[in-house]
Amino acid sequence: MASIDIVNVHKSYGSAHVLKGIDIQVDDGDFLVLVGPSGCGKSTLLNMIAGLEEISDGDIRIGDESMKDKRPSERDIAMVFQSYALYPNMTVAKNISFGLEMRNFSKAEIKERTESVSKMLQIEQLLARKPGQLSGGQRQRVAMGRALVREPKVFLFDEPLSNLDAKLRVDMRTEIKKLHQRLGATIVYVTHDQIEAMTLATKIAIMKAGELQQLGTPDQLYNQPSNLFVAGFMGSPSMNILPATIAEQGGKLFAKLSQKNTDDLLLPLPEQTGYRSYINKGVLLGIRPEAITDPESADKDSEHLYIADCIVNVTEPTGADLFAITELGGREVIARMRANTPLKSGETGPFAFNMNKAVLFDPSSEARID
Amino acid sequence: MSIASNNNPSVSSQRFWRVLIYTTLIVMAVFYLLPLFIMLLTSVKTLDEIRDGNLLTLPVQWTLEPWKKAWGTACVGLTCEGINGYFWNSIKMVVPSVAISTILGAINGYILTKWRFPGHRWVFALMLFGCFIPFQIVLLPMSQVLGFLGIAGSTAGLVLVHVTYGIGFSTLFFRNYYEAFPTELVNAAKIDGAGFFRIFWRILLPSSAPIIVVTVIWQFTNIWNDFLFGASFAAGEHAPMTVALNNLVNSTTGVKEYNVDMAAAIIAAAPTLLVYIVAGRYFVRGLMAGSVKG
Ligand SMILES: Nc1ncnc2c1ncn2[C@@H]1O[C@H](COP(=O)(O)OP(=O)(O)OP(=O)(O)O)[C@@H](O)[C@H]1O
Ligand SMILES: [Mg+2]
Repeated sequence: MASIDIVNVHKSYGSAHVLKGIDIQVDDGDFLVLVGPSGCGKSTLLNMIAGLEEISDGDIRIGDESMKDKRPSERDIAMVFQSYALYPNMTVAKNISFGLEMRNFSKAEIKERTESVSKMLQIEQLLARKPGQLSGGQRQRVAMGRALVREPKVFLFDEPLSNLDAKLRVDMRTEIKKLHQRLGATIVYVTHDQIEAMTLATKIAIMKAGELQQLGTPDQLYNQPSNLFVAGFMGSPSMNILPATIAEQGGKLFAKLSQKNTDDLLLPLPEQTGYRSYINKGVLLGIRPEAITDPESADKDSEHLYIADCIVNVTEPTGADLFAITELGGREVIARMRANTPLKSGETGPFAFNMNKAVLFDPSSEARID
Repeated sequence: MSIASNNNPSVSSQRFWRVLIYTTLIVMAVFYLLPLFIMLLTSVKTLDEIRDGNLLTLPVQWTLEPWKKAWGTACVGLTCEGINGYFWNSIKMVVPSVAISTILGAINGYILTKWRFPGHRWVFALMLFGCFIPFQIVLLPMSQVLGFLGIAGSTAGLVLVHVTYGIGFSTLFFRNYYEAFPTELVNAAKIDGAGFFRIFWRILLPSSAPIIVVTVIWQFTNIWNDFLFGASFAAGEHAPMTVALNNLVNSTTGVKEYNVDMAAAIIAAAPTLLVYIVAGRYFVRGLMAGSVKG
């Protein structure tokens, strides 16, 4: 088992600067998820940890050992690729045992480990088949088996579930999570699915255009996004971002939002030292759909609960919830209500704003204001 | 039901086109096979019949004498031992040349796609360029090199020439094939702990059958059919089949033994025909199916 230290890592392809100084620390047994939009450099960073790409500048350390001059085979890692990369000419059993064979394990040991891994992944009956004769989910399991059988210090996953259909993806996600809990291994996992990131990770690193935006627990990223990009990336439907001004009334701070055809809405803000310097200035108010609810399902313990009547533009029932859409500060706002909330399009209804969950962003730097 | 569909205009016009296409193909095939047919006929006739008869008449008296003579006793230049020695010369030249150039081409293609180094594009461009240098230009420098190495006029010398010339093409073939080979498989093998040659041997080669067949057919026919290098660098008893055939046809003083010439020509062409018939079947696609998605 091992920790991973990524220290000021840069990567350039010729003149293209793909990674611009990434710093990430992963503790032993952590499940780190790298997320970000396509092309932000997630795979590049993972390949550098694996040793498949050279480190242009900076250092990557696994268990306190610099990986700079180590070949992939010397790093004690295993990797699961997005395309699974199963060797087409070998049987499933050979695919799984190839790494052991290359490391000169004894025949008996190879057999024993292959059997126990295939039993764990329930692919025993497939051992004699070739990859071409397997379904997507089965291939995925074989690819996992190939990584597991080596019992490495670190597992690397590059979008291992993106080729599966939705149902299978959810099942495999749970299995990977269980596997992590059972093995206690250090895992680095790339995805651009934020739900996968939230459910699997103990730590999430969110990247954009080769730069780390935020590193933290899923809870930190979700509730205290460090900037607008992170706020918009995590969560579905995504956080409502509304132009507002900060107003002071009787020593208390409020976010003032313009409203169609009626008076401005004043939402009470929790006390934060940073907010004072924005009084009478424009900010961006970020509030998640589940922090705007019908009054009955609102969090009664919240000290900054505010109930306002708003015009409902549209309602979207999803079965479990009812999304009600209204307009504040000139932008559409999604609220997440109980499924049977009696709201009708075109009419006004009560909306409960849990302002304890709200965050403010500076409109020019897009960073969170504390 | 069946009557109705028989009367269907689209079905009958389909049939018309099919008949037309097959007729055309058969006529073309016969036309292209005609020379071979005449060669075969001529090679089993006696000289008298050839002189009296028509090219296309079947022999009255079938004979294998011309074949025996061509193989064992016909005069090539000054010696009268048939063409069998030259046939083996060609085999001794072709087999190592094809094997070496194919193996080197495969390794080159592997390096140029999966172990890229700075300047790999240049190396490949120069190798491509090498494919298109006309033979005549290299004759003089090549003979100097062979003389310097002490293998002028020998089969070894010819092998060197053909390997040198063949690498360009075989590299081109393998590079383009391996370019499409998923690099993730190579990466997976690297992580599994396989080295340069083991990845090549265990991962790439087992999936390379189609391109190996293509390269072998291409190299085999080119090298076997080569005349210029054979005539320039391996005169006399080391001459390959093509040169010997020319000498055989040209050195018969007195009567021209067309039947012997034809038999010798067919023997000279047989190996390339055989390679097409045997290996052509292995042009299979889709060996990679299922290894990598998307
Ligand atoms: N060999 C290369 N040469 C030049 N640029 C490259 C190379 N490989 C990757 N890049 C660039 O590096 C950037 C990051 O690529 P990377 O594959 O790491 O993205 P990613 O975050 O994994 O995206 P995705 O989610 O689509 O897989 C991209 O802009 C890509 O164009
Ligand atoms: Mg990627």
